[in-house]
Amino acid sequence: MIDPSLVANNVIDGVLMGLLYSLVALGLALVFGVMDIINFAHGDFVMIAAYLSWLLAMAFWLDPSIIAVITVPVFFLIGVAVYKLVIEPILGAEPLIQIAVTVGLGYVFQNVALGIWKAEPKSFPNPWFNFSIDLGPVTLTVAKLMAAAISLISLYLVHYLLTNTKFGLAIRATSANREVAPLMGINVRKVYAITFGLGIALTALGASLYMSWGQTNPYLGQSFSLLSWVIVAMGGLGGVVGVLYSGLIVGILEALGTTFFTASARLAVVYIAFFLLLWFRPRGLFARR
Amino acid sequence: MSSGKAVLEVNGVVKRFGGIIAVNKVSFKVYEGEILGLIGPNGAGKTTLFNCITGVYTPEEGHVVFLGQEITGLQPHIIAQKGILRTWQKVRPFKKMTVLDTVTVGALLRIKSVRKAREKAAEILRFIGMPEEKFDVLGREITLIEHKLVDLARALATGPKLLLLDEVAAGLRPHEMEELANVLRKINKEKGLTMIVVEHVMRFVMGLSNRLIVMHEGQKIAEGKPEEIANDPRVIEAYLGTKPL
Amino acid sequence: MGWGEWISESKRYIIGTLVLGGLLALVPFAINFDMYYLLILSTALLYGVYVVAWNIIGGYAGQLDLAAFAYIGLGGIVAAELFTIYGVTPWVGMFVGAGVAMILAAAIGYPTFRFGIKDVWYALMSAALVVILNNIFHLPELLGSLDHYLPSKYGWMYLRFPTYENLYWFVTVTLVVAMLINLKISHSKTGYYLRAIREDELAAEALGIDVRKYKLLALMMYAGILGFMGYVSIVIQGTYSYHTFDSPNSITIAIMGIIGGLGSIAGAFTSAVTLKIIGEYLRSTLGASIPGIHLLIYGLLLIIVGIFKPDGLAGVWVSLKKKFVKKNVRGEKK
Repeated sequence: MIDPSLVANNVIDGVLMGLLYSLVALGLALVFGVMDIINFAHGDFVMIAAYLSWLLAMAFWLDPSIIAVITVPVFFLIGVAVYKLVIEPILGAEPLIQIAVTVGLGYVFQNVALGIWKAEPKSFPNPWFNFSIDLGPVTLTVAKLMAAAISLISLYLVHYLLTNTKFGLAIRATSANREVAPLMGINVRKVYAITFGLGIALTALGASLYMSWGQTNPYLGQSFSLLSWVIVAMGGLGGVVGVLYSGLIVGILEALGTTFFTASARLAVVYIAFFLLLWFRPRGLFARR
Repeated sequence: MSSGKAVLEVNGVVKRFGGIIAVNKVSFKVYEGEILGLIGPNGAGKTTLFNCITGVYTPEEGHVVFLGQEITGLQPHIIAQKGILRTWQKVRPFKKMTVLDTVTVGALLRIKSVRKAREKAAEILRFIGMPEEKFDVLGREITLIEHKLVDLARALATGPKLLLLDEVAAGLRPHEMEELANVLRKINKEKGLTMIVVEHVMRFVMGLSNRLIVMHEGQKIAEGKPEEIANDPRVIEAYLGTKPL
Repeated sequence: MGWGEWISESKRYIIGTLVLGGLLALVPFAINFDMYYLLILSTALLYGVYVVAWNIIGGYAGQLDLAAFAYIGLGGIVAAELFTIYGVTPWVGMFVGAGVAMILAAAIGYPTFRFGIKDVWYALMSAALVVILNNIFHLPELLGSLDHYLPSKYGWMYLRFPTYENLYWFVTVTLVVAMLINLKISHSKTGYYLRAIREDELAAEALGIDVRKYKLLALMMYAGILGFMGYVSIVIQGTYSYHTFDSPNSITIAIMGIIGGLGSIAGAFTSAVTLKIIGEYLRSTLGASIPGIHLLIYGLLLIIVGIFKPDGLAGVWVSLKKKFVKKNVRGEKK
């Protein structure tokens, strides 16, 4: 009854989207894992970055994915600024306060976006890569393929940064023990600022890539936030690899939800899986410990 | 002292974490009305043993019998309801509740009426020597020794039959330790409450306990009166290089 | 904790709540039964009920629940469908709705608390719950994409009126009841136990408190009140659809609860009613040019409260009172 090539197409689409989700979720996983900060506004950074990509794409008449060259460094700085203003005061605060403050931050972002750009979705009318190629029974959208490839490369680069560089060592040392890290000559505040900046820069990369075929609205961030948290929950403490696998699972689940139910029920499928995961595997699927 | 009936019997309790055996076939009895000291260097398995008795962990082997009833593996709140109460090595205050409210939480275990529970809580607080003007102070605004006393009071308010004190002297200054030891003696004498005191501050526990058990690397290595223990070569050896007697 | 003892111990607060209710009931006369203001005030008091209910799970039990409209929506839609399809009076339907909402709360809460899920994970699950229900009710087999209307029947029998004063009074009464329920919880064993759980679960458990049972109890009481009020929410909205499972407004309720101060009934009431009135005012004046301005202000307030005054309005009140009382004591007693 369900056309197998449709299933195949949707699953491939899910894998590609899953890689993008992994990229965005990695930023959240870094912030949560290293700084123990619960950021409920993570997806809202994606949303703001998506608007910025769209604005600049319209201004320069370039594909939004190219605009990443600007949004990524800009959002790194925005991340550092938000860290100084909002995050630093709530380091070590009880979870409820952290959630409250970041929920407030997300609300501010959403409603600033709503105030400036109103509720109608925005998309770039002249995308360069938003066309399909036929490969026998399956069809691939080049823009998504490109986004997935860049996401995968970025995941690898972050993994390399964490495991093979001096800064990565400082991050891991801080995450392992924030009391001892300063004794080893690590400036914890600086590590935190850079980690948060990096986490936010990743959302901007994801947003710019996404805008080369997608559209944004003030509430785009909500699903990105929740999906990122689902991925972090699945990935457990499994590092970049855990995030990668979890993103793929979420992307595929979403695709199956679209295929077997309706597009509007796809998130329900992911979130029901999330419930089952928390109940039965609370330490995640790829927990290292 | 140790002639009365056993309140608690621990029989061959084993608790592993991965490959490490934290508690290895430990057995002992606690008799009614005594203060039993449980000592040993850091990492000897004292706190783990505590957690096995209070239901935080379920031991892999062995039994814990309380007043003739097997309690191995029961949930912590049920064990507390049966009458085993504990205090915490690192104080766990109810920061946004007042001292009196905190102790009332304990009293509500056996007393249904909130008014009577508050009266009971006030009585206990007076008994352990908490000044009245501290009753309405929030948990986050009191000193460490006051925290320890509140911790003790809320456990006492439940009407326990056995009290487990986990490193209760940790972080206190010598005169505060003396004050606390006096309170504990008073509780033991006037309420006849049986206690197990886990400690690595030797002086504190020596002066307080009727009997001592020494743990080292998960095992019980000695048991006896304080003066016997102080001269036991195995104990001295276990402590060498960690903390001087 | 018998009723007699509760009444004698909390007499001051009970009388205060009743007086507040009486004053609120007089407001329609003061504003000359103006339809527009009555609608805004009914909405504001309805949010008062929501936030006072949220105080049970969020304020006392300390679980950051973001699922308010899962229970409001479910309870409301059950009552509305019973009314629309079977002609059942909402007076029965609202209780059925409350019951269904409590069953949902139990079904979600039991495993969640059983497996020790709290903090961020509890907040996420509750946020996800609203989306799950939204998506499920969007299916064509349930509500589909359409807006559904209540039958055009009016009168106390259906709790629908051509004007708003009766609805306003009904909400006032439920608000007073919700506040009294909170008051009863607050001064009873359950309240002490929930606060202890909020402060430190492990310590609470070691004092003999069945943590799971009490958390579940708090969640079910919260869900029951919200489920009951769901129908009123639909009456004020005029229609119901899958949009009734509203994520942003679920978060708004938690925001109002936190700004009011965890565990404070007066704080919950004050915060919900003022924020909602300010919000509606801003929406009606600036909403066309700057949509979302009121939500922007909620967000900013929440950040400020979170960073500088984690105890919320109630905390501000307490510190003001302390300053004042201290001066008094020094001046008069000593």
